[in-house]
Amino acid sequence: MWRYLAGRVAQTVVSMLVVVSIVFLLTRLSGNPVHLLLDVNASEKDQEILTRALGLDRPLPVQYGLYVRNIAMGDFGNSILTRRPVVEHILERLPATLELGLVAMVLSVLLGVPLGVYSAVRRGGALDGAARVFAVLGQSMPTFWLGLMLILFFGVILGVLPAGGRGGPAHLILPAFTLGYFTSAAILRLTRSAMLEVLGSDYIKFARLKGLHDQVVLWKHGLRNALLPVVTFAVLLFVQFLGGAVVTETVFAWPGLGRLILESITTRDYPIVQAGVLVMSALYLAGNLFVDLLYSWLNPRIRHHAA
Amino acid sequence: MRRPLGIALAFVVVLAALLGAPPRGAAAPEGTLTVAVATFGNERWLPNLYVGAEDVVLKPMYENLLTRDPKTGELAPMLAERWQVLDGGRTWKFHLRKGVRFHNGAEMTAEDVRFTFATIAREGSANSLAPEFRQIKSMEVENPHTLTVHFDKPFVVFGNKVNQALFASCAFIQSKKHIETAGEQNAERQPIGTGPWKFVEHVRGDRIVYEAVDKHWRATPHWKRLVFTKVPEPATRMAMLRAGSIDVIEIGGEYVDELRQVNVRTLLMPNVSWVYIILGGQWPTKATYDPKVPWAQPDAEKARKVRLALNLAVDKQAIMQRILGGLGTAMNSWLAYPNDPWATDALKKPLPYDPAKAKQLLAEAGYPNGFDTTMNLTAWPGRGFLPDVGEAVATYWEKVGIRVKRRPLDRAVFAADFRARAYSGVALAYAAPLVAPETWEVIFRAGYTKAALNLFVEHPKLDEYIDRLAVQPNYQERVRIMRDELGPWLSEFVPGVAIGAAHTIAGVGPKVGEWPIIAGHMGFHNWEYVTRK
Repeated sequence: MWRYLAGRVAQTVVSMLVVVSIVFLLTRLSGNPVHLLLDVNASEKDQEILTRALGLDRPLPVQYGLYVRNIAMGDFGNSILTRRPVVEHILERLPATLELGLVAMVLSVLLGVPLGVYSAVRRGGALDGAARVFAVLGQSMPTFWLGLMLILFFGVILGVLPAGGRGGPAHLILPAFTLGYFTSAAILRLTRSAMLEVLGSDYIKFARLKGLHDQVVLWKHGLRNALLPVVTFAVLLFVQFLGGAVVTETVFAWPGLGRLILESITTRDYPIVQAGVLVMSALYLAGNLFVDLLYSWLNPRIRHHAA
Repeated sequence: MRRPLGIALAFVVVLAALLGAPPRGAAAPEGTLTVAVATFGNERWLPNLYVGAEDVVLKPMYENLLTRDPKTGELAPMLAERWQVLDGGRTWKFHLRKGVRFHNGAEMTAEDVRFTFATIAREGSANSLAPEFRQIKSMEVENPHTLTVHFDKPFVVFGNKVNQALFASCAFIQSKKHIETAGEQNAERQPIGTGPWKFVEHVRGDRIVYEAVDKHWRATPHWKRLVFTKVPEPATRMAMLRAGSIDVIEIGGEYVDELRQVNVRTLLMPNVSWVYIILGGQWPTKATYDPKVPWAQPDAEKARKVRLALNLAVDKQAIMQRILGGLGTAMNSWLAYPNDPWATDALKKPLPYDPAKAKQLLAEAGYPNGFDTTMNLTAWPGRGFLPDVGEAVATYWEKVGIRVKRRPLDRAVFAADFRARAYSGVALAYAAPLVAPETWEVIFRAGYTKAALNLFVEHPKLDEYIDRLAVQPNYQERVRIMRDELGPWLSEFVPGVAIGAAHTIAGVGPKVGEWPIIAGHMGFHNWEYVTRK
């Protein structure tokens, strides 16, 4: 197990290094921040001074070397715009992102799993049909459109929920539902197909023959086994929510990490983009690692195969 | 200053402005005024760090030496209680108001003003006023409340550079001691000014929070808190306003009908930016000049015919109506807005939409089958409609046989080409904000670098006009030069495709009462005078 763990951690470190390099290169290719920081009438000299002050006059390999060295020492640098440490900016936005991601994921699971189970059990019935419509709608409706419609209906017409921004728990409902609906539909489909497979298996038939109660067969023996891919999906989903909720964050004016990264891309604030993407990648890789370890714990065959 | 120079008249202006000044808030500040904007700009605070687009969120906290009377638009006192223009505009003497304090309690003095001006002019400064402030030869602090600024050449419109400007070019007076003691980095975190609102909190890309200064020397705000929140999506801003969670929103012309349909009050700031199509490459002295560009070819007459054809091919009224929601005035003048005294009827009248004539002119210029060109579709902060304008113009040009390649391009990527004049043969829609009451000032700073008219055309005649205007102390004579010489020359030269002057609107919620604005201001301002209902 420890050998397996060490191998996965080493893979993660290499992946991070690749991510760091790609992000570094892409940000440099996307345009010079000096052009956005200065007025269009700024002189050549002003441009030179600012370029030097930001360290952008150095050769790219030197910039890269310094960047990797600083990251290794835990120094993500300062924002080009605000000159405040990047970590401050990330930490400022992380709570909002975690809050939205967590609630959206819980919502997805609470909606997707029971509907998926009942859809599988009542296969071909009215509930299954309704659940499938729910899934198709969830996966086909553009997030920005759904968000705007929810704002219009609940925020403007009914006036029962805030139309945007971050505040109390009520502010979370619409963005979390918007973000979670799409994925709850995916979880529903995944749960349904996994349950259909499990419910047709020999050990479920055997459990029924043993005379176990239907609910026990369904929830204890059926769902527990069907949940493995769902759990994996949900963990990765949560990590994706942390950085991939840009559209939802923009529509609901939610001050999350995704929006910070997007805004930093448009202003060429390299250090924030780099650190933000790095944090997202680290979380994603950590999520992957966690899922792998979970799998190997739940399924010893994987562990033995790796060993 | 718009009047003949001299101490006596300056006093008259001061008196008139004082009489016309907005009333001070009487009741104690209460409640929160929440404003949703699309962007905060660069979110920087110090004089050498902010550029321009920050003005909406900076103005509440800072003040300038001068301001404008909201009724007449004339220069009026702010931190300077009076000023003198001496030596034909080579010397400006400012007499500062006594007892004005920064938010940390320290008194504002002439040293602070000198420090602010020097910081704006510093090498590497991002401030868009830097080229103008670098014209300063020396500054003398005669006493804590008197500052004299000397120039080599007359600087007749320096008053327009030290006032609560129409757009972004603001010389906000900041505390020398605070910045030097705290250091730039800390001063950026905890900025202070002398304005009616003091800084509370800034969360990058999310919100900026101000609190009213009690018993402010000029105007105690009616609202206790002023919160700017960044809401990039216009539909969300609209919904938040209608839902009552926001009190004021920045919104584009395309939403004005919708706002009116649902009975949302709108505040119009008329004719505040000038929309046109830049025809890149008209800089014969630059290394990037390409003589093959049809509108910039060495044969001046043929080049002009091409430029005229590109104008006649475009229905400007339709663009104003359809893309800007009717919030603008189509016109053909350059450097003139509809209400300017130098905007004659001839200059205001837009060129007709005449595609047949456009085709004929193209044939006469040697392009009977049109030519290939590129239209950049680049959005600029606060002017998100520009790619749509570019697309519409490209479509009109195609109707007269010009083959237009669309190139959607991020501003940061294009900015390098823009500065280096390396976009020969490329057209793009642009909107210049009204930065000063005399519109030639928009090219004043560029004029000194011989790269006139917002970087898209250079011409010795144009530089000659700017050089004359820059040193002409008599306002009426400057009006005459613009009306009788510069305006007609530009109209005849046809430097680009003039679309017209665009308005800015705000959606205003039910809690907001009176809001006096200064004519010509593009961005939101005067928050301290906004009353509660």
